[in-house]
Amino acid sequence: MEPKSSANRSGFGSRLTRLRRTLVWYSFILPPLLLILTFIGYPTLQTFRQSFFTRGMGNAETFAGLEHYGRLLTNQIFWGALGNTVLLGVAFLGIVIPLAAALASLLNRVKRGSAPLKVIYFLPQLTSSVAVALMFNYVFQPDWGLLNGGLRALGVTEVPLWLADPRLSFTGSRAAATLLAVWAGLGYFIIVILAGLQSIPRDIYDAAALDGANGLQTWWHITLPSLRPTFIFLIMTGTVDALARFGDLWTLGGPGGAPARSLQSVVMFMFQQGFESGDVSLAAAAAVVFFIIVLAVTAVSFWAFLGREFRAVR
Amino acid sequence: MSDLVQQAPALSATRPARRFRLPWDWASQLASMVVLALGALIMLLPFIWMLTTSLSRKANQSMPRIPSFWPSDPSLFNYQVAAGSLPIGQYYLNSLVVVGLTTAGYLFFSAIAGYAFAKGRFPGKSLLFIVFLSTLFIPFETRMIPLYHQMAALGLTNTYWALILPFLAGGFGTFLMRQAISSIPDELIEAARIDGATEFRIFWQIVLPLCAPTLATLGILNIIWRWNDVLWPLLVTSDRNLYTVTQGLALAGRSSGIKVGVALATAVMAILPVIIAYLFLQRYVIRSVVSSGVKG
Repeated sequence: MEPKSSANRSGFGSRLTRLRRTLVWYSFILPPLLLILTFIGYPTLQTFRQSFFTRGMGNAETFAGLEHYGRLLTNQIFWGALGNTVLLGVAFLGIVIPLAAALASLLNRVKRGSAPLKVIYFLPQLTSSVAVALMFNYVFQPDWGLLNGGLRALGVTEVPLWLADPRLSFTGSRAAATLLAVWAGLGYFIIVILAGLQSIPRDIYDAAALDGANGLQTWWHITLPSLRPTFIFLIMTGTVDALARFGDLWTLGGPGGAPARSLQSVVMFMFQQGFESGDVSLAAAAAVVFFIIVLAVTAVSFWAFLGREFRAVR
Repeated sequence: MSDLVQQAPALSATRPARRFRLPWDWASQLASMVVLALGALIMLLPFIWMLTTSLSRKANQSMPRIPSFWPSDPSLFNYQVAAGSLPIGQYYLNSLVVVGLTTAGYLFFSAIAGYAFAKGRFPGKSLLFIVFLSTLFIPFETRMIPLYHQMAALGLTNTYWALILPFLAGGFGTFLMRQAISSIPDELIEAARIDGATEFRIFWQIVLPLCAPTLATLGILNIIWRWNDVLWPLLVTSDRNLYTVTQGLALAGRSSGIKVGVALATAVMAILPVIIAYLFLQRYVIRSVVSSGVKG
């Protein structure tokens, strides 16, 4: 507003201008900062607080110490849910990463047609996990579902029960939930690995070809080690996503993870305890444990990733 | 295109020495294509099966034991039933309002905070940036229950506000925008400042247009996240008139499991517009997901 010349002449004016400039930056930061403090910071602190308190009649709260953590860690349903989450996550990543690496390598070497194939493999990624689960609920239907129908057409007479079988087996509900996740997530893993493949410098391959390495040797000794950062990144983000799994399992089996809690994840346990049973303190304790696990996974992978990169630089 | 450019020199370099390898190359290309095409078929089959079953009226009473990929009685009956029993138009409107407003707000607040962190000079900048960044390490699921109680205390459950407010600002967007804005030359901003432009005007007219690609990336990611979210809408909205498409689909799927044709018609109505949008925008969508390395 003030003419620039006068601000430059007097010391007071220039300090005022500088103050105004600083205030402008604060006014840019303030609205998002308030939103973050209100809707991220405050409820996160509340989660921690609630896990140490018991809410009685009329919102009166008494300090409970570690009581709710004790209840949580002796709760078989919580351990079941944690076990499911870890098992489903490990099975998913253990299948999807090698499969995506193989398919991405093939996609990278075909000379034409890779663009439409990429679009097709990525398609399920655009479909919400809810829609995928709804569709696969029917795909896995034992009597007339697409999968068992296909098996019958191939001559299999003893078809599996899939989602109706809560036992721990390769044809039970957890296997079905894993197949569903692999089908839905494959495209994302392929696209990311493909980007990693295309960033490997070509002259390494030319050097290997001069040394007389065959295709498979090159893939094993050059391609795979070069993809290390990509794999670490995928394992890290994939683990965090797997820990937070909710939408598809909820659509398949409700908050209880039917059949027989075989599909209940940690987040579903929190959902059920906090909203259906009204045990907010137990849900909060579970949320804190969940937070610590996610943080540990992130920290370990950051450390593993950065540690290796720093050593490489030195 | 880029594949061809990359492969061309390598190919010409090896060709004179290894002419005998060419049939083998051709065979391995063919084998790769066959494997990839089979995989693509497996990806597409459930979609095709869903689409054709949704056109079959008989599917509601009995399904063939061997799956059929063309119904004997194709009709839009299931779609009429689904559209008559679910306010799917209302769901779409709700999703569009919620996704549109959260994305607009998220882009604006991320960009303006990112601008301040990239180009501003003010005390406490790095501390504030750490506050923004630390939200990256707090999963939404950690705070969902107190957040629900907070919304209830504010009287916002069963309103659009509950679906919008918690997602307007975040560390990820701020970080991404700060990175993008840092690469804009200082001289450009300084020149505008000397011309007498206010900081907001510089932000709005110079900075924002220059980081359009990053805004597009962030926007696409946010649209995918918010469109597909079901956990939070399930918590804060129980009024059917406020359901998003994903939430409506989840609840319909859980309650009407018996009428297969109708349930799949509902699913098709929820998925198809997104897939059509994707087919037009796939280049940008895939680029967004790869460049940020964040899953949708």
